[in-house]
Amino acid sequence: MPGGIAFEFPELFFTGLWLTIQISVLGLIGAIIIGTFVALARVSPLVPLRWIGGAYVEFFRNTPLIVQLFFLFLGLPFLGFRFSTDTFESIFRAAATGMALYHGAYVAEVVRGGLLGVDRGQIEAARSLGLSYLQMLRHVQLPQTFRSVIPPLGNIGIALVKNTSLASTIGVAELLYAAEIVESRTFRAEEAFVAATMLYLVLTIPLGIAVNALERRMLVAR
Amino acid sequence: MRGITRALALGLVLAFVATACSTPAASPSPTAGTSPAATKPKHDLSTYQYALQTKGKIRIGTQEDNTPFSVKTPATGKWDGFDVAIGREIAKAIFGEGEDVEKYIEWVPVVSATRIPAITDNKVDVVIKTFTINDERKAQIDFSDVYFRTGQRILVKKDNTTIKEAADMAGKTICSQRGSTSEKNIATATNNAARPLLLDSYPACLLALQQGQADAVSTDETILFGLVKQDPNTKIVGKYFSTEPYGIGVKKSAGDRTGFVDFLNRTLIVLITSGTWAKFYEQYITPVSGDKKRTPDD
Repeated sequence: MPGGIAFEFPELFFTGLWLTIQISVLGLIGAIIIGTFVALARVSPLVPLRWIGGAYVEFFRNTPLIVQLFFLFLGLPFLGFRFSTDTFESIFRAAATGMALYHGAYVAEVVRGGLLGVDRGQIEAARSLGLSYLQMLRHVQLPQTFRSVIPPLGNIGIALVKNTSLASTIGVAELLYAAEIVESRTFRAEEAFVAATMLYLVLTIPLGIAVNALERRMLVAR
Repeated sequence: MRGITRALALGLVLAFVATACSTPAASPSPTAGTSPAATKPKHDLSTYQYALQTKGKIRIGTQEDNTPFSVKTPATGKWDGFDVAIGREIAKAIFGEGEDVEKYIEWVPVVSATRIPAITDNKVDVVIKTFTINDERKAQIDFSDVYFRTGQRILVKKDNTTIKEAADMAGKTICSQRGSTSEKNIATATNNAARPLLLDSYPACLLALQQGQADAVSTDETILFGLVKQDPNTKIVGKYFSTEPYGIGVKKSAGDRTGFVDFLNRTLIVLITSGTWAKFYEQYITPVSGDKKRTPDD
């Protein structure tokens, strides 16, 4: 059976899969939160906020994720900050944070597009009905935005799941790392990487299907 | 990442096959004419070293940051180190002395985990990279005789008093390179009680040690020598807890590597008996180890 090697080394492959899931989920939640606030900053009426939001996106989108991960893992301690006194907790948190910060920039661009896509007339109508800026966001602009950004957010989510493999370079024992360790112990490179590929697909294909289903439901609701 | 290298390797193989097919089938006679080729070493026509000589290129796999064995100097792009020097001598044995041997060498960067795939996928002709000979690897590839002997020890910060021997690594975070024998030796020496932090290179491990992310770095002593040189606030402790005989890795012959391992072994013997080996040891290893050796078995 292709990928059967995963069952010969379950402690590596399945704990790896579990770490990949954890980093993906934490990273995606973080990215959506960061991205939403950065996008709001970018379209806010306050110029300094717009500037900060823009700087964030340009910085995190234009530097490689692997460099950001190395900075979080080995660069921050130089500045006197570490995620945890325990090394393995520390690299795990560095990986999840890196995923959130990097993909947050992409989410911000998508959400900004969604915010700008909401009809100006509705925003002006809401304000003229006496809603404050925050109330208008809460009840008018954001709900419509989230509906329209679900497909591109799904793409970012899938990219994020795959990008978690870069966490292996800072020593996180995730899926790719498991495959590399099994390869170095057994020299069965093809089998090990086929197993890792299949386990990544087990995560990404259902994610894609879920996003499509959610998109259809939202369309009906509109 | 591995997938891409595989695809590239396949492409290279196809390109090689294509060029091999397009050349005339008649083999060039080494005695014909009085061309400069006449000064080149004569190899038996059926051997791989002859095939390399006719091709005019040997692909040597080694690592870019593995001082004092191999390092690609960032400023100049030139390769240097003990393994690199051995590689150049092998190229000289194939292509002849007196010429600039560098033009016959294609240096292929490898790391520990990519050494065996690079050989089995025919991306390199030899791997000379602190490559420990062991039975598991011998099932995949062929090795030359031992050209260097060392053992595994432990690198800690100078003020560390808790780690003195291999057994003290139990429960501690120990950094080594992913896909190396060092990782397995640490597990064996501590009964799987150490917590392995596995990164892609030893300079990254050194950084992790400096910042307290790792309690120790453990690998072959000679590599640790290179790290101590980079950071004098570290020290090497403990006795050898493994023996690491290094060999040159080559593809197992399926009729396509005839006589190659024998040729490498003969070349290594000449290097050792002529004193060239001792010269390289003094040039590259003595500055970090402080000792001198005439042969690998000293």
